[in-house]
Amino acid sequence: MKKTVNSVLRHVVLLILAVIWLIPIVWLVATSFSGYRGINIAHFFPQSWSFSNYSALFLEPDSVVQYVAWFKNTLIIAIFTCIISTLFTLMVAYTMSCMRFKGRKFIMSFSIILNMFPGVLSMIAVYFILKSLGLTNSHLGMIIVYSAGSGLGFLIAKGFMDTIPVSLREAARLEGASEAKIFWKVVLPLSKPIIVYTIISSFLIPWGDFVLAKLMLNSGISSDWTVAIGLYNMLDKSLINKYFSIFCAGGVIVSIPISILFVIMQKFYVEGVTGGSVKG
Amino acid sequence: MKKISKLFSSIGNYFKNFGVSLAKGDIWVKSSLVVMGAGYFARKQIINGIIMLLVEAAFIFMCIFYAAPNLAKFGTLGTVQFEQTFDPLTMTSTVNDYDNSFLILLNSIVALFIMLVFLFVYIQNIKSVYKLQQKKEEGIHINNFREDVRAMFNDRFHITLMTLPAIGVVLMNILPILVLIAVAFTNYDQAHMPPNSLFTWVGIRNFKNLFTNSVTVTFGYAFGKILVWTLIWAVLATFTTFLGGILLAKIINNKRTKLPKMWRTLFIIAIAVPQFVTLLLVRNFFADSGIVNTICSNVGITDFLKNIGLVSPNLTYIPFLTNPNWAKVMIVLINIWVGVPYQMLIATGVLMNIPEDQIECAKIDGANNFQIFWKITMPYIMFIQGPALITDFVKNINNFNVIYLLTQDVFVTSDQLLANSNAKEVDLLVTWLFRLTNEYYNYKMASVIGICVFIICAAFTLITFTRMIKGDREEVFQ
Repeated sequence: MKKTVNSVLRHVVLLILAVIWLIPIVWLVATSFSGYRGINIAHFFPQSWSFSNYSALFLEPDSVVQYVAWFKNTLIIAIFTCIISTLFTLMVAYTMSCMRFKGRKFIMSFSIILNMFPGVLSMIAVYFILKSLGLTNSHLGMIIVYSAGSGLGFLIAKGFMDTIPVSLREAARLEGASEAKIFWKVVLPLSKPIIVYTIISSFLIPWGDFVLAKLMLNSGISSDWTVAIGLYNMLDKSLINKYFSIFCAGGVIVSIPISILFVIMQKFYVEGVTGGSVKG
Repeated sequence: MKKISKLFSSIGNYFKNFGVSLAKGDIWVKSSLVVMGAGYFARKQIINGIIMLLVEAAFIFMCIFYAAPNLAKFGTLGTVQFEQTFDPLTMTSTVNDYDNSFLILLNSIVALFIMLVFLFVYIQNIKSVYKLQQKKEEGIHINNFREDVRAMFNDRFHITLMTLPAIGVVLMNILPILVLIAVAFTNYDQAHMPPNSLFTWVGIRNFKNLFTNSVTVTFGYAFGKILVWTLIWAVLATFTTFLGGILLAKIINNKRTKLPKMWRTLFIIAIAVPQFVTLLLVRNFFADSGIVNTICSNVGITDFLKNIGLVSPNLTYIPFLTNPNWAKVMIVLINIWVGVPYQMLIATGVLMNIPEDQIECAKIDGANNFQIFWKITMPYIMFIQGPALITDFVKNINNFNVIYLLTQDVFVTSDQLLANSNAKEVDLLVTWLFRLTNEYYNYKMASVIGICVFIICAAFTLITFTRMIKGDREEVFQ
């Protein structure tokens, strides 16, 4: 009897929590189908329903809404960021985990200290450096911003590679494989979960980032922006009453691919990270 | 202490080896001091020699045309003010050959950095040339160029792998940090903005300003207030989400909970939506004339809160994000909403691996669920997650998104002293410095605050620092 009560109670608590966690998401989706463009402050669900916000997003670009252009910009930046970051991260992780050379510990300590410096602060100097190179307001500049420092984020991948048995590498070396071959043919194929995790997490950076894009893409030309900046701009005080529902529609569209990738990433994260850390 | 003395002795050895190489080297090693490729030519490593010669030539070229002009002005950061003269005859304006303080600062730091790197290459060059000499004397095979290249993919593969990431880190992390440390000692602000005006060195005046509190300078007051709130926030944010995540994971993972996967997915959906979307949405949700306020006043909560004194009587709404105290509570609550699902995922992974036998033993000994949780589960989680907790704490000190997206353009401070320093009650140190730079162009003070944030974070990280990179752990599993 007591167990049944407990079990019912537990499910009720879970249900209440789930509702709390999903209210904003439900509001987002509901408002995106609203027939009214501004914020509906009287009712949770819209009074009239329509698809007009979505058609405005894709078919009627104006000086404020350039959704297709934003999506394209973000996608291009994300693809290149993803390639470069993944390569850098894996290269550094392999070096730190599998190779032994003078200064390795020093480089590791140094990079941990370097990572502590507030990113927001150094970004302002990065902005000036890129500006003097003429790279602000360009895709190339954004790709550099997102991916150049990615070598510092090697710790998770290194932690995973540490769990690959050293005997495998030694066996390969005895058979005459070079270090480069061991990297490609032995360690990388065994690091699949962490590679997928690195790929997805670096792909997601440009979609979720707001601060850097706001600093770097300051030309005021809306077709240069990324999705995050574009959507943020729609909520400007002078625009919010005309664009709030369109913002919600844009939020829904960008969230669909992102959440799918995020869920996949979580699966690999749990496999890769907890798999590695728990053994310790 | 031991580490520091080890560091110094290794630096000492580095230069000692250089001296030994030079003293014992033959004429070719010694002439490498002047002509960098000489030692290689003598051992028939022609391509290596040419590369070294080119490096040397490029360095000299850089010194003359880049380093010298900039470093000459480094002491003053420029003296020639920007001037524009309009010529009425030709209807064109001409600009004088002015100094741009920021570019001088930036270029000088880059030049100094290149010089340091070159010094390293230079010393390394002498050493490796001496090694070649030794090899020749002992009759050991000297690699030809092709073999050298092959070594880059074998014994020296770490150099090949690390070069590009290292360049990236230098460009994106090290140079900016050096520039900003330098800016903290200048008067670079809105009144001294290149190219129109110059800025110059002011010593530690900015650091003094951060701790003074006078009629004109209120940075001391603002800094104290914001520092306290930043630390309170970091503690609250870390512990609420951490405990919340464990409890949620415990509930979902309970054996008698139906459909655990479905529950987990529901919570993940909430955080899978990009933060800027959800946070901006939530901010409008709780706006002064937002939907939550409408509902609250319809149901009578607003009046109730007025009666018990939580909302001041002359307001018709609940100031969720506009009153300092309300906003602080709301920010922590909304952060629980953002952070708990993440912690739940991590805790799930950890909980799944708790050794079952210990719990079984405890049950046989008559421990109840509560005791098991506090005596077995929690210590185990703390053992695994302890270092991550400190990392989370440091991340929360720098948690820009939650604070900025929730309060920017919404929260207006009524504290005149804070407003004088462009700060708000709900600001963290990082959002404050972002506003100082992005809106008020007060780069000097922002740099000083940045250095303070760094020191604070470093102090906290040092606690776990030795544990994280001790290195004894990393080889255990291999």
